[in-house]
Amino acid sequence: MVVQVTPDFLMRLSAAFSTLYLVALGHSLFEKSGMLNLAIDGLFFLSTGISVFTAVTAHHALVGVGVPTALAPLLATLLAGFASMLIGLLMAWVLTNLPVSHAAVGFSLMFLGYGLGILAGYRVRLEVGNIRPYAYPYELSTYLTAATTAVAAGLTIHYLLYKTNFGAAIRSCGENPHAASSLGVRVARVRMAAAALGLFILGCGASLFPLLWQRYWDVKTYILGYGWFAFTIALASGRHPLLLILFAAIFGGLIEFATSLQALYGLQVDLAKMIPFVVSLALMVVYGATRLRKILEPPSSLGKTYYREERSV
Amino acid sequence: MHSDDSVAVSVKGLRKVFPGGVTALDDVSLDVYSGEILALLGENGSGKSTLVKVLYGVYVPDSGEVRVNVGGRLTKVHIREPIEAMRYGIVLVSQVPQLIDKLSVAENLALTLSSLKWKGSTPLSRVSRFSRVIEKECERLGFKIDPNEKVYNLTYTQKQQVELLRSLVIDARVLLLDEVLTYLPTREKRKFYDILLKLRGEGRSIVLITHKLPEAFEVSDRIAVMRNGKILGVVNTKDVTLREVRSMMFGAAAQLLANDKTLLRKAVKAPKGEEIVVEGLHVKDDYGRDVVNGVNLVVRSGEIVGIAGVAGNGQRELLEAVVGLRRPERGTVRIAGLDITKKGAKLVRSLGVSFIPDRPLEYGCSIDHSVLDNVAVPFSLANGMLLKWDRLREVAEKIVSEYQVVAPGVEASLKSLSGGNIMKVVVSKEIESASRAIVAYNPTRALDEVAAAFVRQRIRVKAEKDEVAVLMASEDLDEVLLMSDAVYVANSGRLYGPLDPESTPREEVEKLMVM
Amino acid sequence: MRVVVLRRKKELRYGALVVSGLSLLLGLLIYVAIIGFFGVNPLDALASIARAFVTPTVVKDLLVLSMLGYALLVAFKASLWNIGGEGQFYISMLPGIVSTLYLFNLEQGAVVPPFAVVLLSVIGGSLLAAAWAALAGAIKAYLQIDEVPVTVIMNYVVYYLLNFLVWGPLKGKRTFGYLRTDEIPGVYRLNIRLPMLYISDPALSFLYSIARQVAYYSSFLVGAFLAAVFVWWVFKFTKLGLYVRIMGSNPNYLRATGVNTKVLAVATMALSGAMVGFAGSLYLLTELGRLPYELERQTAGYGYLAVLVTWLSLLDYRLVPLSAYVVSALRNAGTTMQVAGLGGVEQTLILIGSVLLVYSLTRFLIEYEVKVEW
Repeated sequence: MVVQVTPDFLMRLSAAFSTLYLVALGHSLFEKSGMLNLAIDGLFFLSTGISVFTAVTAHHALVGVGVPTALAPLLATLLAGFASMLIGLLMAWVLTNLPVSHAAVGFSLMFLGYGLGILAGYRVRLEVGNIRPYAYPYELSTYLTAATTAVAAGLTIHYLLYKTNFGAAIRSCGENPHAASSLGVRVARVRMAAAALGLFILGCGASLFPLLWQRYWDVKTYILGYGWFAFTIALASGRHPLLLILFAAIFGGLIEFATSLQALYGLQVDLAKMIPFVVSLALMVVYGATRLRKILEPPSSLGKTYYREERSV
Repeated sequence: MHSDDSVAVSVKGLRKVFPGGVTALDDVSLDVYSGEILALLGENGSGKSTLVKVLYGVYVPDSGEVRVNVGGRLTKVHIREPIEAMRYGIVLVSQVPQLIDKLSVAENLALTLSSLKWKGSTPLSRVSRFSRVIEKECERLGFKIDPNEKVYNLTYTQKQQVELLRSLVIDARVLLLDEVLTYLPTREKRKFYDILLKLRGEGRSIVLITHKLPEAFEVSDRIAVMRNGKILGVVNTKDVTLREVRSMMFGAAAQLLANDKTLLRKAVKAPKGEEIVVEGLHVKDDYGRDVVNGVNLVVRSGEIVGIAGVAGNGQRELLEAVVGLRRPERGTVRIAGLDITKKGAKLVRSLGVSFIPDRPLEYGCSIDHSVLDNVAVPFSLANGMLLKWDRLREVAEKIVSEYQVVAPGVEASLKSLSGGNIMKVVVSKEIESASRAIVAYNPTRALDEVAAAFVRQRIRVKAEKDEVAVLMASEDLDEVLLMSDAVYVANSGRLYGPLDPESTPREEVEKLMVM
Repeated sequence: MRVVVLRRKKELRYGALVVSGLSLLLGLLIYVAIIGFFGVNPLDALASIARAFVTPTVVKDLLVLSMLGYALLVAFKASLWNIGGEGQFYISMLPGIVSTLYLFNLEQGAVVPPFAVVLLSVIGGSLLAAAWAALAGAIKAYLQIDEVPVTVIMNYVVYYLLNFLVWGPLKGKRTFGYLRTDEIPGVYRLNIRLPMLYISDPALSFLYSIARQVAYYSSFLVGAFLAAVFVWWVFKFTKLGLYVRIMGSNPNYLRATGVNTKVLAVATMALSGAMVGFAGSLYLLTELGRLPYELERQTAGYGYLAVLVTWLSLLDYRLVPLSAYVVSALRNAGTTMQVAGLGGVEQTLILIGSVLLVYSLTRFLIEYEVKVEW
């Protein structure tokens, strides 16, 4: 084995896992209700920008008030989650009440997310430069707590989706919203609830990227495309909260592994950056080409425009 | 006879116009009484489906009012969503069960029950709480359904049973059944009738939509006839004859139907060459289940072979395999002597075989495109790279005039046409483009009786004049018996027959369908 | 409050123009409001945008985006969302770089006429881009994986692949310390350079500067014209055009008639990619002249801008150049305003995002109307 399992590595792995898992988990919940989320990378970056801004600003504010500043990154995470949640509510309302294209809406929000994320965080970046002091405490306990919380969130969502009435309603909207409506489900409300909860989790997860994992942020990071990694693992794991744990852990490990390889063996930096994308592609191909697909199918009505009053033949 | 407080639901002056200018409901007024079964008869496009969908909140009327009996008094209501209708005790069951396939029976029912906050359930309560209730009701009604079974594993009859279950668990006072019984096998149908009579005895109202007169006469107390969005009249069933009701429904066109049988009488002819030969065919469905289990079949030129059977016995997969749209596991299909078994639909089409698919909107046309574009697709298959629009336009215009498609022109987009006219386009282009064989599933399903009669006639003429072989499956037993030279019955993936429709008693065919 | 959406009895008159116009207007307003919140004077912003419509620099973008707009139109008509324009655009430049700098290097004494090398570059580039796009098409057609994330991920692969090549085998020898490939020899470049003239009349001077731009980018002009004619011909006269259109609405119908929709999808993507590659190889020979390092930071983002162009044109080939013009102006407006020190990238992103958002939310008004009941 080329990589030594040091506490450092464990912490980075926990961070990678927590970030990717929560983003993919929230995204999956959103999509389970039948709405396509192509805005994922934009939401991801926007959340990072907002969380960086909040972390630094809150830190200074709390110092002024004399409150422990360890709260600052936590506030940042919650605010990022809250912002994503609002966007989720907007998306859900629009996608269920108007006959619009999921892809177009998602895509436009992706661009807006990039732009707004830059605007949200650049000033703070200029002022403080290094955001390391404002990130989560660099201790093993913090990182393991993050990972555990992520898993706990996953277990809760799994229970919600597969054991409760609400979960059945969410899945029905994803499979066949017309039949769901006929059965009495209020599709708009259910989707809005799923979107709010899902994108809240997504926003929280994305905030961990600069504040826990990379401990770094720059306006240029909008081109990194990490949101698409979360998209891929959600797809490959059939948007299943428990299976996602496995995929997120492996993928997170892969990204960290690639970085380590680069450091240890001088793997050219661009090739190292390329690996996760190639693996994503390969994963999608494997998913599509094998029986995996049959077992882990996407919701039947995912991305389909929902419009009532269709005339039937 | 009936006093005001025994009215369960009343509508007055309902109007509903769909885009494209189709008037589905034209000043409709009707009272439905408690403890009665009211049959709602009419051709397709007469407005009966729209009426019940308005009552269930699927459509909102442009004008008019709906009143529901609430606590003994008729109260004006605005039903905007199915959940609101269910709160008033109104439930709609459709011909195509509106259930979520990938969820279990319990989960499906949980959707309704939790929406109604039934027995204090909340969104976060467990689904499994409802399983016992389901089991109890199943026992009471004599249904054999496992609450944890996924809906896609249920038979058609079982799915309709689940719908009925749903209505009873929530104590529906008004049941709207839209063509629910039409395609059930006779024995299952009778069981349903018994249940309906029992429900009537409990004071509930049942509105039974059907286009089959005998069904209406079997079980209803009153019959309401609709045509072109209007209610022509409401009569007591025991006071009227079948012929009287038929002429109410169709007027002059009834003559056409009376002549149906004579027009379709087959000329005696010598057996011609074998066009379609199926041997030992085994096919799987989309879920990997074996739905065609060793089928043998021969269709000759100029012959119409009809496959009768309840939906879900492998007919669709069999026909798809014959036209090359589905790969069989085992066995062969030969067309004009050529083995086409795993060679794909393109080859089959090039041999002059056309296909009327089961789900016409999904597989038979592109609704966003014009009549001309849609007709162009099957008629240009033989062309090279460039299209000959002049010729295609001629063909399209001929179809529109012959089949009397109501459309502003061949450039009109399909979605601006009414449902029946869309179907005419779907069916006609396939019939007219066939040179060797026509394979069809439910070719007249969404058509009104007049259009259906015309289509059947055209198919018969194609068979006799152009010696086209016709392989047809239909869930409408009457249609199969009417049209076919030879009848097979599909049951659990096997074909029983061939039977001679003229000499075989109907009961025998039905027995084969349900055994 | 209840929002009721009803299908119109007849399509909205001039619906395409209304929706596009509304998207631009409201999108602009949203953009101005957002940057206003971050301290930019809205009037400055609007003035900058207005100016952008008439600067000569718009010519280049307009022509490039027209070519790309037509390329993506072909795929979008089939409901194949080719978001891989970026990747196809840049990968098409590889044959050009390899041919002009290595295979037919002038220092070694070129025997092949420059025209042939240019032709080789363009054809090679188109084919390579076609193959790249076809890969995404095959993944979609045979594995049913959504082409949007696939094409986006493939863009990233191209960025990093090209970075690696520029860092490694294609590293330039005469780059004054910058990490990039060498410049392609001038003899292979496709520019017509009109001389710089001093004209006293401001109107004439302005027109002349436009003429200079057009001349410099005349290869793009030819390319855009060819693309337009090609697209028109395909959809009006060929069976392929009919099938592509029907596939965009209901591929099941095609399947039921025996058309192999999988091959059709791959072919459509290949064609779209080839047209993108055609534009990309021309771009190398006319404008870029070399490949930079850290492509993902240097790219003008034409691949993504073209998506906006094609969507705004509502898939009507007649509206593509107009749509390209508008998007070019918006993009140039963004670059003249700096807020985050990124050269206006964030401006462009917000502008595109706002316009696209309004578009996506109003497109349905062509076929549907909205009634609000209180």
